[in-house]
Amino acid sequence: MMRDAEKTPNSDREPQGPYPPSEAMLAEQVEPRVTAEGAAQLRAAWKTPQGVKYLTAVNNSEVGLWYALTCFFFMMAAGVLALLMRVQLAFPGNDFLSADRFNQFFTMHGSAMMFLFAVPMFEAMAILLLPAFLGARDMPFPRLSAFGYWCFLIGGVFVFGSVLFDAAPSSGWFMYPPLATQSEGVGSDIWLLGLSFIEVASIAAAVELIVGVLKCRPPGMRINLMPLYGWYVLVVGGMILFAFPPLIAGDFLFELERSFNWPFFDPERGGNPLLWQHLFWIFGHPEVYIIFLPSIAIAAMIVPTVANRPIVGYSWIVLSAVGTGFLSFGLWVHHMFTTGLPSLSLGFFSAASESVVIPTGIQLFAFLATLMVGRLTLSVPMLFIAGALAIFVFGGLTGIMLALVPFDWQVHDSYFIVAHLHYTLFGGMVFPVLAGVYYFYPFLRKKMLSERIGKWVFWLIFIGFNVTFLPMHLSGLRGMPRRVFTYPDEPGLNLLNLISTVGAFIIAIGFLLFAWDLLRPRRKHPLAPLNPWNAGTLEWSNDVPAEAWGSRSIPYVTSRYPLWDQTKLVERMHAGRYYLPDAPEHKRETLITTVLDARPIQCMRVTGPAWITLAAAGFTGGAFIFPTFHVYWPAIVCAAFAIVCILYWLWTSTAPIPPKEMRDVGLGLKLPIYAAGPASAGWWGVWITMLGDTTAFASLVFGYFFYWTASADYPPADAVHANGPLIFTASLVLLCSWALTVAAREVNRRGRVAMARVLLIAAPLCAVGGIAALIASVLVAGLDPVSHVYPATVWAFMVWACVHMGAGIIMQLYCLARSLAGRMTPTHDADLWNVTLYWHFMALTAAVTGLVIGLFPRMM
Amino acid sequence: MNSPQQDEERRTFREEASSLWLITLGPALWAVHFTVVYAATAVVCAKLGTAYLPYLRLGIAALTLIAVGAIAVIAWRSWRQWNYMTNQEYSHGQPTGEHRHEFLGHAAFLLAVLAAIATLYTALPAVFIAGCG
Repeated sequence: MMRDAEKTPNSDREPQGPYPPSEAMLAEQVEPRVTAEGAAQLRAAWKTPQGVKYLTAVNNSEVGLWYALTCFFFMMAAGVLALLMRVQLAFPGNDFLSADRFNQFFTMHGSAMMFLFAVPMFEAMAILLLPAFLGARDMPFPRLSAFGYWCFLIGGVFVFGSVLFDAAPSSGWFMYPPLATQSEGVGSDIWLLGLSFIEVASIAAAVELIVGVLKCRPPGMRINLMPLYGWYVLVVGGMILFAFPPLIAGDFLFELERSFNWPFFDPERGGNPLLWQHLFWIFGHPEVYIIFLPSIAIAAMIVPTVANRPIVGYSWIVLSAVGTGFLSFGLWVHHMFTTGLPSLSLGFFSAASESVVIPTGIQLFAFLATLMVGRLTLSVPMLFIAGALAIFVFGGLTGIMLALVPFDWQVHDSYFIVAHLHYTLFGGMVFPVLAGVYYFYPFLRKKMLSERIGKWVFWLIFIGFNVTFLPMHLSGLRGMPRRVFTYPDEPGLNLLNLISTVGAFIIAIGFLLFAWDLLRPRRKHPLAPLNPWNAGTLEWSNDVPAEAWGSRSIPYVTSRYPLWDQTKLVERMHAGRYYLPDAPEHKRETLITTVLDARPIQCMRVTGPAWITLAAAGFTGGAFIFPTFHVYWPAIVCAAFAIVCILYWLWTSTAPIPPKEMRDVGLGLKLPIYAAGPASAGWWGVWITMLGDTTAFASLVFGYFFYWTASADYPPADAVHANGPLIFTASLVLLCSWALTVAAREVNRRGRVAMARVLLIAAPLCAVGGIAALIASVLVAGLDPVSHVYPATVWAFMVWACVHMGAGIIMQLYCLARSLAGRMTPTHDADLWNVTLYWHFMALTAAVTGLVIGLFPRMM
Repeated sequence: MNSPQQDEERRTFREEASSLWLITLGPALWAVHFTVVYAATAVVCAKLGTAYLPYLRLGIAALTLIAVGAIAVIAWRSWRQWNYMTNQEYSHGQPTGEHRHEFLGHAAFLLAVLAAIATLYTALPAVFIAGCG
């Protein structure tokens, strides 16, 4: 017996009832009447909105589909740009495109393929497929997926649309300063703000996918039984959190320079263009693996199916995914071998670039081994996987050559690089994704794509690809520079370029054929069978014809390939024998399980259709798009409305106190509906988001010390520093605000609600004081951010900290309001847990800001 | 009643006794080693010059020994957790706490080996390159 004093207020929210279910419980028949009733309730709960309201849908099957189709559209559009460039390059001295137009096209081709196709395509596929692999009903935060999609659509149309108005960015997809900072027109701003906006959506998707993999697996699916796709998504989600924030920090500095003339990258005033290259490639190289890993993950799902046996070397593939994820962060300088860094430094990155081959190679060998020992069924998806392996290995081999510094010096910025990167991306991303589309089409649309057309598509793209890009190795070695709109009429380049152009059109025919087969109406085609490829994983248990609920009931899983090994599983799932077979209150629900052993611990209510996510995305879009044209007031108004929308969204739908604490989820198990703190998915979401946010802050700190290392006079000898006492006060008062927030949570938990409310009034007051002192410390000292990079960095730190503390104040007041409205109580305090977690990170931000801009320059 | 032996097994394989973080420890040490080596080289070459390079190279050697040693400890612990010598199990496909526990050991071991190789690779340039230029 627990003594009363030890009893936490939440101890009545423990799972009750038998787990795991015995075979006898599972063998018991469900009455057909009960099955039908449950199905009717689920159908009502998961109904897809009709008519105009279809746009409010948040279900992963809808949002994922929109995402995928939008990505496909952007890919085709960026492909058209590539074709136009190939026409220009077909003959020497051609004047089909002007130099400026050509610059816009190659910039937009690269930017769109990376930011509007490759990365969001991963998010699209993962949102579509992951819940099905895990037998879950939906992603943990459906409205966040929808918000992310609408942000992506608005940002993507805005960025790509600029090409139609002759206003597109034209400095290349990595936007090197000073070319990009000094380029005229709004092109660079469109790139920076439009893509920052989309990066935010990517981070939202990463948060959702990580929580999905860790907390939304079906009961019994221990971490050693998880489909390999889950492992890859977990790794890629983690990589996004560490790779995208440096770019966001870089964009922040870059846009401050573009808009307000703060000289971060201007050498005349102490800035350094190389900082941008570092921040860009700390993002840019992991990005390549962020694209590659989830695509090869599709191969990891297809290979066991076509080989009719479990994957060989499951642990080795996990090694490969996790190892590649880590090592890919040690490669970024291999894009900067010609920038004059110390040769010893170049050596480190060369060595790391070679070592990443080990984990990358291991997974390919594991696939080959599976194919060798299995009984192979040849199918269109398998054809694409085979093509992918061939092309990717070829690109990998040129990668090993390029990792050697002297070789890289020789071919840097030549067509050899263009050939290499297209081999890795076509082999590592395009072919596996095409394989995935053929393989998963019957899962998504319940019809089959044409096998005959599929073979044509494969051979056209495969042959066209090699005809286009193989000659580029040679034209690069012969000295043809990339990104130049024409070339001299010299023997050796003409024919190679003409061949490349012909090849590009063969690829285009292949893609047109694919698009036609993908998009043509299929009303008269027969339905596909339930498991057309005889696969072993859970997604092939979903209903035919389609139902919006995903899994009819959430199974108890005891194998890596439940459809092969658990013979009665599908029948029992469809009968509603397993968990959550009904929805008596017509609410959308899914199970939350523990991280390692997937024991069920919560029945989480997920959100349904809403207009508010669209409104929030629209206003967020305005806040990013208006500054592009240097119009700030409408942007501020939009940002304010976006905050209001998001607050309304949170207030009305997150962590509502349920009328009944426990929900009978079936098989005698009762689970709590409400969870707070580390037990809840929301807390994990905040934790992961803040990890990403802190990475961006760390990138600013990196920038500060980069300037200190790279230049002899940073901070300049006669520099004015931020006011010491004020900085010290600011840090101290902000830390007080953090302590008060923590105290509010603890006091509230112990039932002293009035005291908690007082603390929640004092905490934001402290934070306001901290912000004021921080701003004053910079203003009183008279730091002029335009004059030199040192005051500009101090200002950047100040702005960063103030914006974050401002968000923190809104959160504290939100908790106060929730408490006053009775939506947050001592036993239902999820909001306060999440806000406290945010403030832990704010304490770190305040302390580091104080040390870096207050203490460090005085010690130097 | 359970025998003491079964009790001990249950304790070893219960969920709280394992952690997903363990598998990232080896590569995390590689990352720390890599960052420190890179930052130290950048600072020495920019602020102190080639004259101090011998000290830097000795420092890198010492740091590499420490890192590889720490990774070896992780490798040894995860090898014990994998428990391969007792049951020759390497596929870990069963729905038991034991398989989950040994799988995490196996994955951590493989990652530690990879981290050790990558750490030694990182240190190699410091053996062969004697200049900042």
